[in-house]
Amino acid sequence: MIKIFINPSKFSHFADIIFKPLLIICILTLLLGLIFALYLSPDDYQQGSTVRIMYIHVPSAWLSMLTFFIMTIYSIVALAFKIPFGFIINSAVAPIGATFTFICLFTGSLWGKPMWGTWWVWDARLTSVAVLFIVYLIIIFFRRSFSNLDVGEKITAIFIIVSSINLPIIKFSVDWWNTLHQPASISKFSSPSIDSSFMMPLITMTISFICIGLLIAIMRIKAEILDRKGEI
Amino acid sequence: MQTINSILAIFYKEYKITFRIFYDVLTIILFFLLGIFIFVFSVGPNREIFSQIGVGIIWTLLLLSTNLSIRRFYQDDYNDGNIFLLHMSGLSFELIVLIKLIALWFFFQLPFIIVIPIACLILGIETEDIYLILVTFFLGSPVLTSLASISGSMNLLNNKNFAIGSVVIMVLSIPLIIFSTGIINAPPELIKPQLSILGGILLLFLALTPWVSAGCIKIALKNN
Amino acid sequence: MLLANNLSFKRGRKEIFQELSISLPPKKIIHLKGRNGIGKTTLIKILTNMLFPTTGEIYWEGKNIKKNLYEFFTNLTYIMDVQTSKNELTVSENIRFWMKLFSSNIKSKQLEQIFDLLSLDKYKNTQVNFLSKGEVRKLELFRLVIEQKKLWILDEPYAGLDESTYELINETFRNHIGNNGMIFFSSHHYPELQNMDTINLENYANN
Repeated sequence: MIKIFINPSKFSHFADIIFKPLLIICILTLLLGLIFALYLSPDDYQQGSTVRIMYIHVPSAWLSMLTFFIMTIYSIVALAFKIPFGFIINSAVAPIGATFTFICLFTGSLWGKPMWGTWWVWDARLTSVAVLFIVYLIIIFFRRSFSNLDVGEKITAIFIIVSSINLPIIKFSVDWWNTLHQPASISKFSSPSIDSSFMMPLITMTISFICIGLLIAIMRIKAEILDRKGEI
Repeated sequence: MQTINSILAIFYKEYKITFRIFYDVLTIILFFLLGIFIFVFSVGPNREIFSQIGVGIIWTLLLLSTNLSIRRFYQDDYNDGNIFLLHMSGLSFELIVLIKLIALWFFFQLPFIIVIPIACLILGIETEDIYLILVTFFLGSPVLTSLASISGSMNLLNNKNFAIGSVVIMVLSIPLIIFSTGIINAPPELIKPQLSILGGILLLFLALTPWVSAGCIKIALKNN
Repeated sequence: MLLANNLSFKRGRKEIFQELSISLPPKKIIHLKGRNGIGKTTLIKILTNMLFPTTGEIYWEGKNIKKNLYEFFTNLTYIMDVQTSKNELTVSENIRFWMKLFSSNIKSKQLEQIFDLLSLDKYKNTQVNFLSKGEVRKLELFRLVIEQKKLWILDEPYAGLDESTYELINETFRNHIGNNGMIFFSSHHYPELQNMDTINLENYANN
């Protein structure tokens, strides 16, 4: 069972099996989620219709963090247990995480403009996600900075692990910094109070985002596996 | 004991080498000072603004100055086989990293003790604050050295992208910058807790750096 | 006694060499030869534990060097293809550093003799970056005498040296063997030394 997550050929095989079902779930949840998000769920009392951006903003934030978590686990697996599949995951999944992070920042910016009049706000969450985006970019660039790709993967994996220790500290520091510099403000991106009418589309959209992420990841991982087979 | 003699010999060697390349250290100090000037030119000589953002400028420039010393950490010793030579004399890679950390903090960070008060005076920062800034400097500059060590060891075989060494330091230094500048303009009851947090960050990086740097050095040695 | 059993090394998918075994008892010299790029430096790096072989083990005095690294290094001097002397320091400063680093018992009289032999006398207080390439190589050889270890592994020791120094090295090698030492070196030259085996890496390479 674990072999699926560690062995390239077993993973490819498993990926082929679940691809179509995953695609179907993805399309269904995406349609369902969008219908609920855009039509059926109520407006927010304070923020009106623009709160609907939350249904893309929040799931993409969760996905960006989930992707980083997966990359950290696989970096540890690759370095400590010497399983090269971890490096394949890292290089395949990093751009996906970066994209979700970018979507989060972009939708956050769009949400902010009608609400607060500016395109960018230095609140705790948005700033932490911006730092996360920079970390993703560093990871993507770093791997390509070495002429020896083996070295590049290993050093990048070490950087991912160091960053995973650093990111909670950054989140904590940025939260603290934010309260210090904006003592009287409420969090500018407070999600409306969690009501079942809001939860449903949120969870549905999250599931569909996870599926999108998985689908793209599977395609990229299989391409990466073939690429490595080919160059040997 | 043989190890202690080896360690002392290494410190003495580092001292002698730094003495011969002393102008490099002085230039880094000059970079710091010039950076202060550039800030004044770009922002305008408004004393009120500087008493608020002065600490931030000083720490930002400390960070940027550290970028200039990344190569000095391991690149030369790696290229001429000295790191492996030290390893063959019986020292573990982690110990070699630790020795380098102490030596380079002493020679490349400690000299800032002289410029920081000068910079504070130029920027019009309160004299009571200067003492606090120096305390945070003593807690924070070893963290900068540790970050330079991590970045230097990661970039030993990097010959395509020279800028990323600095970028790595900058992203890892965000908590350090937030807390070391936060201490100065904070209300008194928040000073001690922030100092402890800074101390915690220092201890974390001191524990992490020998392990991470030694690992990266080993990877670089194996893939020459 | 240095033993290596069935060594092979792969870089990526490329086999550099395979099925190579080495036996180096005291009073013996092994000369490693082969054309440029065949992997001589790679083999030497494997013998000094800088690189790990793909297969095979290396034993020093019967113990696997991976598990007894400290003991192995205590008996090894490795002269590399790069100079380990520091350019910013003078010749004497480099020597004094090596002496303290390896806790050498060498007497100053011996040092004086070697300075004389290698004719580096007048450069004692010159910074290394002012010496010629050959003189820098000569300085490197000081380490052999300072460290006073049993096993010498040298990568291209004769490169860039003049006739008299070439003979000097041969003499040093003969003395070392006489004192129960062992030597492993790679070179394109063919020194006239007794008790010398030759390993031609081309016989083990995969072409």
